[in-house]
Amino acid sequence: MKINTKDLLSAALLISLALIGLWLNTDHTMGSARRMGPGYMPWLSFMLQLGLGCIVLGFSLFNGPDPLEKWTAAEIGFLIAGGVVGMAAGIAASHVPGWVSAGWNPLGIGMFVGCMVPAIVKSWRPLFLISAAFALFGLVLEPLGLMAAIALSVILSAFADDTHKPVGVVGLVVFLCVLCWAVFIYELDIRVPVWPQF
Amino acid sequence: MDLVTNLAHGFGVALTLNNLLFCLIGCVIGTAIGVLPGIGPVATISLLLPITFGQPATTAIIMLAGIYYGAQYGGSTTAILLNLPGEVSSVVTTLEGYKMARRGRAGAALTIAALGSFFAGTVSTLLVAASGPLLTQVALSFGPADYFSLMLLGLVISAVLAQGSVVKSIGMVVFGVSLGMVGTDVQTGQQRFTFGIPELSDGVGFVSIAMGMFGIAEIILNLERPEARSVMSGKVGSLMMTREEFKRATPAVLRGTVVGSLLGILPGGGAALASFGSYMMERKVSKGRHEFGTGAIEGVAGPESANNAASQTSFIPLLTLGIPANAVMALMVGALIIQGIQPGPRMVEAQPDLFWGLIASMWVGNLMLLVINLPLIGVWVKLLAVPYRHMYPSIMIFCAIGVYSLQNNVFDVYQTVFFGIFGYLCSKLRLEAAPMLIGFVLGPMMEEHLRRAMLLSRGDPMVFIERPISAGMLTVAAIALAAMLMPNIRKGKDAALAEGG
Repeated sequence: MKINTKDLLSAALLISLALIGLWLNTDHTMGSARRMGPGYMPWLSFMLQLGLGCIVLGFSLFNGPDPLEKWTAAEIGFLIAGGVVGMAAGIAASHVPGWVSAGWNPLGIGMFVGCMVPAIVKSWRPLFLISAAFALFGLVLEPLGLMAAIALSVILSAFADDTHKPVGVVGLVVFLCVLCWAVFIYELDIRVPVWPQF
Repeated sequence: MDLVTNLAHGFGVALTLNNLLFCLIGCVIGTAIGVLPGIGPVATISLLLPITFGQPATTAIIMLAGIYYGAQYGGSTTAILLNLPGEVSSVVTTLEGYKMARRGRAGAALTIAALGSFFAGTVSTLLVAASGPLLTQVALSFGPADYFSLMLLGLVISAVLAQGSVVKSIGMVVFGVSLGMVGTDVQTGQQRFTFGIPELSDGVGFVSIAMGMFGIAEIILNLERPEARSVMSGKVGSLMMTREEFKRATPAVLRGTVVGSLLGILPGGGAALASFGSYMMERKVSKGRHEFGTGAIEGVAGPESANNAASQTSFIPLLTLGIPANAVMALMVGALIIQGIQPGPRMVEAQPDLFWGLIASMWVGNLMLLVINLPLIGVWVKLLAVPYRHMYPSIMIFCAIGVYSLQNNVFDVYQTVFFGIFGYLCSKLRLEAAPMLIGFVLGPMMEEHLRRAMLLSRGDPMVFIERPISAGMLTVAAIALAAMLMPNIRKGKDAALAEGG
């Protein structure tokens, strides 16, 4: 048996998503083939997905080997830690009164924290620093405005690439602030706070 | 002459100042991203989708289309000069184009790439114009069952032609369809899979999926790869072709146009498949086939014409049937729906400005591209001097602002982060994102047609086999699936896609 790890994990992903979908779909009425209820088509597609996932699973046991890139203990550890800490931070944030629990902020905080933890490991940085910078943008955009959001997330994302120099990053921030102001505020006039609001 | 009056009407629309301007913007952006490796038309179009919402639908589509076919022009430049395909569709151009550049014939290669593309663009534009209304007539006789089968066929073929394992691709298509079920059920108003989140009642954000899985995930993957940029070899040289080169290139352009136009219409087809198909053909039939590998001009002329023809004919299924043939067209459907236009056979009559204006603008755009590309080639090559470390934060910021401005809601930003990580995971597991996007777009339409068909047939599934059109579609889908089970054909496809990307 030559196990194809990539296919095995793909199958696991397809099957687990299908099972979750089927379980959630039990809330919806199926209806009959003639008068389909809201649950009919989801049931069909999730069942199909489940079946295909099982086929992929079957193939994956034989068509390998196709291992994932080597994972170190640190990478796995910090990934799991990120998931746990991010969840905890999100849940904790939703109980704090004020700005922290307003709107989607707990989600953003959870995502940001959850992405920052694995970003401690160097090999995770491209993935999680970019994601964290994106989440940070969402978090600070409304309270601090567009300019601050651009500056903060560009600076954070710059750490994902070793070749950045401080001067270059500052230049990039200034350039993007001017460009985004010209395109989005002056030209397209989108409704977004530009400067911090107090 | 209906066609002439319609085209005249189209040119009237396309030649308004605003539309010309946006066509130009689209072409310039398309050329730029075509030149730059690491960012493709799918990512760019999803990036710019929100910006187009302020414009009328016609203008928006004209610009987005310009990006797609502009990228085919731009992709050839770096392929020829630097052996660096800017787009997937110009991978095969590197094979002969770069060899020509090494021999000092870079100028001739660039000229034939641009002229061939222009010729192919003109022919395929006419083809779209002529076949559009015809196919629309056919499409109007389609019942719900036929539509369902047609969409099923489109999904099957897009999965079959995707890179890698067919089963996994179909799995992704189906997952896309499932994801499309999120939101309010159209007929009963019931909320499905929304977890009580009001933002999800309109469904998962289409732009978020596209930006996350194609924009953000692509940035991350590019950052993980070390940057590899080769140096330009020698000078561009004279742009003029010799008489002999011209003579050899002409039939290749003609063949490339035909192959490209046909492969573009195919569901799941598009520019990448077309350029590869044309390259294979030239290697077999062209007069200069013994020169392949040393810089044969046919190997540039054919594929470059083909990818441009295909990028335009792939609009045919979208404009006449409302069915996207590839991921870029799925984005176009998204753009139309957000603009409040339901793509489908009634579009030609209900939106003549959009249909004919787009067709006319394609030709205008091709003309613009000829001017943008040939004399200004030096400018585009300089673009490559911009290091990726300056590009990726810019792309990221544009994504973030764009996705926020959709509904002025940060939820969309977080949604995009989620799909970025998911897209990264998928690409690591070799699960294709493009079939999923097509499935996501077609899923809700399929559900509607399925429900309607079953209601009309009183719950009898035989209706899909009894109606001849529907039965035909299902047969083709079954053949396509069966063909992939045969080891020989599958190996051929894998080899083709491995080279063609």
